[in-house]
Amino acid sequence: MIAMVDCNSFYASCEQVFRPDLWGKPVVVLSNNDGCIIAANKEAKAMTHIAMFEPMFKIKDQLIKNKVTFFSSNYTLYGEMSQRVMNILETFSPSIEVYSIDEAFIDLTGIVHTPLKEYATRIKDTVVLHTGVPVGVGIASTKVLAKLANKISKKVEKFNYVCVIDTDEKRIKALKWAQTKDVWGLGKKHQARLKKIGVFTAYEFTQLPLAWVRKEMTVVGERLWRELRGESCIEFRNMPKSKKAIGTSKSFGKKLEDLPRIEEACAYYISEVAEVLRAQKSCATYIQVFVTTNRYSDTDKQYSNSCTITISVPTNNTFILTQQARKALQRIYKPGYRYKKVGVNLTGLIPQEYVQGNLFESPTLYDKRLMNVIDALNHKFGKATVGSALVGTRVAQWELVKKDRSKRYTTQWDDLLELKNK
Amino acid sequence: MEYLETGKIKNQAPKHKASVSKQTGFPSPATHYMEPSIDLNKELVVHKDATFYVRVSGDGWSEFSILDRDVLIIDKALSPKAGNLVLIVQQGIFKVIHFPVSNRGTSFTVWGSITYIIHCSL
Repeated sequence: MIAMVDCNSFYASCEQVFRPDLWGKPVVVLSNNDGCIIAANKEAKAMTHIAMFEPMFKIKDQLIKNKVTFFSSNYTLYGEMSQRVMNILETFSPSIEVYSIDEAFIDLTGIVHTPLKEYATRIKDTVVLHTGVPVGVGIASTKVLAKLANKISKKVEKFNYVCVIDTDEKRIKALKWAQTKDVWGLGKKHQARLKKIGVFTAYEFTQLPLAWVRKEMTVVGERLWRELRGESCIEFRNMPKSKKAIGTSKSFGKKLEDLPRIEEACAYYISEVAEVLRAQKSCATYIQVFVTTNRYSDTDKQYSNSCTITISVPTNNTFILTQQARKALQRIYKPGYRYKKVGVNLTGLIPQEYVQGNLFESPTLYDKRLMNVIDALNHKFGKATVGSALVGTRVAQWELVKKDRSKRYTTQWDDLLELKNK
Repeated sequence: MEYLETGKIKNQAPKHKASVSKQTGFPSPATHYMEPSIDLNKELVVHKDATFYVRVSGDGWSEFSILDRDVLIIDKALSPKAGNLVLIVQQGIFKVIHFPVSNRGTSFTVWGSITYIIHCSL
């Protein structure tokens, strides 16, 4: 059996752990740059008269009027809280698959002796007791069914965040409850396709002939069909796959016009992605840089462009990558525009031990030890403590707006939760 | 293919195993008696993933020997016994109390047990 544990409105829950004055009240978390809402708790979701998916500037007044508390995203906090939750889940089984920041599969094969419902309840209670973050637990024989059980645990009140599908009778009941949109991995296109032939529930989907599913929905649909029927065919993965590409792009806190400032942001992003690249022991062959203006603005002149450069010898050296990115940026930058965003993508990733040199350059030309020292220093003293001088010291001038970010309660000694009393 | 362990915050293992004496003259008589030095994380924190630190501002809790600027170590995993110092939430506000023998008549949520009070005396 497989358990799927999913934190309830995770980002909002993390914020609420440290803000008991907000317990039971509507809370939302904003995207990078405070552009729009990316997470809302149950109380906020209940306010259906607010268009939560609209840009923040359109709904801010409404949120304030309805006493919805909003936070800029605090990924440092969410990441640390996530790690705590996952560590606790690891005490339940040696085999867990961390699927995302707030959900994990637990392989229960051969480890559960108590009734499953009791076990699921224990997982739920332990996580919320230890971390303050509430979770829902779904248990079933396959991943897709476990995911569905999890959904039911949250959506159907009487389950109270624990749902076990361990008999065929329960499975069919769950499938009849679930609409096609409730099935994990069943995309919008397939939902529409199924609707056309009169299939609305997951149960109806499983009653289709396999040949039809295979023909119309490829192997992906077939896998879902089988999983929903209780036949496990999505493997359990304990480790993430190495990434094929690493990139980042974030909007500036304010629009930028001059090249030096954009170069600084670009260099900063390179230092971020290069660190990830080294952590997974890969080297990049291509580097892509793109810039764009604010396409939502009616008054700004619009421009966007991108440039890809092939690095002669694949590398994960921050300085070479910064140099190449700068070259690419200079090629596409045009003065006279108000830029909103610069982004970098590293692709053609290969394991670092497979890097080939060429006639003129050997892959060991640049010393790896320098990068190791830089990574160690930044790990010890905080992000971007040392790096390329091109990053500059004016990060504050283009950095993301995170006006309403909570403190980093769990990672910074100076940011501890403060209990005021008189 | 080597896989990366993503997202894990790893603590460095303490390096205190006995090694070959580094003294150039007499070998150290302590060689076989070495032990890891004291690590407060190990001594003061029982449930790492359930432990939080909070800072107090104000002298309102001096009756509990909790003073202004003290840092409390809070363990959320412990189930408090009567008399234990606990951080509770009552009507949305943090309070410190001795956990009552019976909590009839009062309604509150335990946020966590206060295991240590760190007071800076400088």
